[in-house]
Amino acid sequence: MRRPRGIFVPLLAVAALAGAAPAAADATTTLHLDGSTAAFPLLELLTAKYEAVEHHHVKFIVGQGGSSVGITDVANGTVNIGDAAAPPTSSNPAGLYFYPIARYFVDVVTNPANPISNLTTAQVQAIFERKVTNWSQVTGSSLSTTIDVESRTSVAGVLTTFASDFLLGKTSLVWPGATQWSSEALLQKSVEGDPNSIGFLSDYNAITKKLNDVAFNGVAGTVANVENGTYPAVADFYEVTKGPARGYSASFIGWIQSSKAAKKIIETGWLPLTSTKAVSG
Amino acid sequence: MLDRVRRPWSDHSAERLLGAVACLLAVGIILMIVFIVRGAWPTFSHEGLSWLGSGGSPDSQLGAMAYTSSKPPPSAFVVHAWPLIYGTILTAGFAVLFALAISLAASIFIVDFAPPLVRRTMKPIIRLLAAVPGVLYGLVGILVLVPLINKYLVTESEQQSVANVIQLTGGGLGITIVLVTLMITPIMTALITDALESVPRAWREGAIALGLNPLRATLAVSLRAIRPAIIAATGLAAARAIGEAIVVSMVSGGNSFAPNPADGKIFFFEPVETLGSEIVRVAEDLGAPAVHSTLYAFAALLLFSSFALSLSAYLVKLPLRRYQVSS
Repeated sequence: MRRPRGIFVPLLAVAALAGAAPAAADATTTLHLDGSTAAFPLLELLTAKYEAVEHHHVKFIVGQGGSSVGITDVANGTVNIGDAAAPPTSSNPAGLYFYPIARYFVDVVTNPANPISNLTTAQVQAIFERKVTNWSQVTGSSLSTTIDVESRTSVAGVLTTFASDFLLGKTSLVWPGATQWSSEALLQKSVEGDPNSIGFLSDYNAITKKLNDVAFNGVAGTVANVENGTYPAVADFYEVTKGPARGYSASFIGWIQSSKAAKKIIETGWLPLTSTKAVSG
Repeated sequence: MLDRVRRPWSDHSAERLLGAVACLLAVGIILMIVFIVRGAWPTFSHEGLSWLGSGGSPDSQLGAMAYTSSKPPPSAFVVHAWPLIYGTILTAGFAVLFALAISLAASIFIVDFAPPLVRRTMKPIIRLLAAVPGVLYGLVGILVLVPLINKYLVTESEQQSVANVIQLTGGGLGITIVLVTLMITPIMTALITDALESVPRAWREGAIALGLNPLRATLAVSLRAIRPAIIAATGLAAARAIGEAIVVSMVSGGNSFAPNPADGKIFFFEPVETLGSEIVRVAEDLGAPAVHSTLYAFAALLLFSSFALSLSAYLVKLPLRRYQVSS
């Protein structure tokens, strides 16, 4: 048969190739998450546990990208749930629901070669606003080198939390000449590799032997001090959904907020919440 | 129907299939351009081309944008991207120059001077290097090289001298150029080596017989013959260099400063950001429409720069075609 088939057959072949992959998926449901780099380690643990609890009927794909990426993606419908490290702001798309899942706190960190034990509000402000440039001007440091200020790009949830308690709520006060990292991990590696540096991290990334955690106004950043209310710079991680959470997203968020297994995981590096009321943004 | 699928395809069907794939590719590229230009449109309509100019720090401007509302007023789109454009030109320009020198020397050695055993080992190694994912260089850079530069090359007095404007942490223009050079040299070397090998041996041997020494013969005959290939390789490498984003964002110092050549040695330690690395770093702020549009405008500029690069490489090659052996 020599009937000309035109371009239709080749196109059909391409379409068949493209269609083959999704058809292979079985009855399990896949939830896509992305967002906060600070919340990522927690979400990795929680989703792995939830997959086991649900006998693998639910699967997760967890990405990162930053709080705002999570918020944008969930608003566009690219992901089912966004992860955020700060509460909603006025520039967020409308109709999003923020469900708090765990509490974290922010620590000021230095290299172990510069073991400062305590900084006051005034000292932190002076360093991050670049009113002092040399460690010799900072009481408590034995170095006499130039300070390297390590910060985050503008709307990192952790930067917002840091500024709200250490810098009078103004992220814009951070010296524009500071190094601005796009993720917690990059800032962490940078402070680990540079004896003259100072930065800030969420507690899970801050509490390691390779970093020196600085107490703030005489109060060390510990779980106990957060629980008794003496340590500032505390904020919540949120799971963000478009409209109120429904279906599998709702059961996953409900499981995080109420189950003992999830609470146990949260307690390994973060703090469980007492109130879990959703905030709509 | 099944019977027909099982039969081997006639040449006719193969031709159509290949044609369809090629058409899909063209459609994909057009869609991508439309998508990027549409995303960038608010910036172009509010700012015209003035956003290409200089004034202030792009980091701060993008940071301020992140806090404008979800329906930003025209005033929210103000950005002056010159430090990033300058940074892109600096890093890509230096890297392409260094890579060109290194890859020319390496290919001449491999093709015309290396003993057969060395040639047989070098060629696969260079192809392997060309395939190394760039992010590996970034990891080595941030974990090993940046701390070393900070410790041994940047002095305390140099840091103090600029302490009110920027900080020298080891990451910066110099290490960025080194890593981008490392990333583009293998592919350039592989392309130029292939071209040199395709020069007929008789041409070069004839030149030697006429009394030129082997190096002069290579320079005068082989290199002249492969000029179009060298230009094509440079264009390809330059396009990769201007678009390199992840590695640059890891080692460039994390600040959209415009390095000043008048600062002497410090110039190479000063932080820098390129258009690509700024997109990576600020992607976290994409939730704000003003940032969204600005980053798309950066992407559009990168896209058109690479089109311009390949077009100008093509135009430069045209008059050289006369003696070419391959391109």
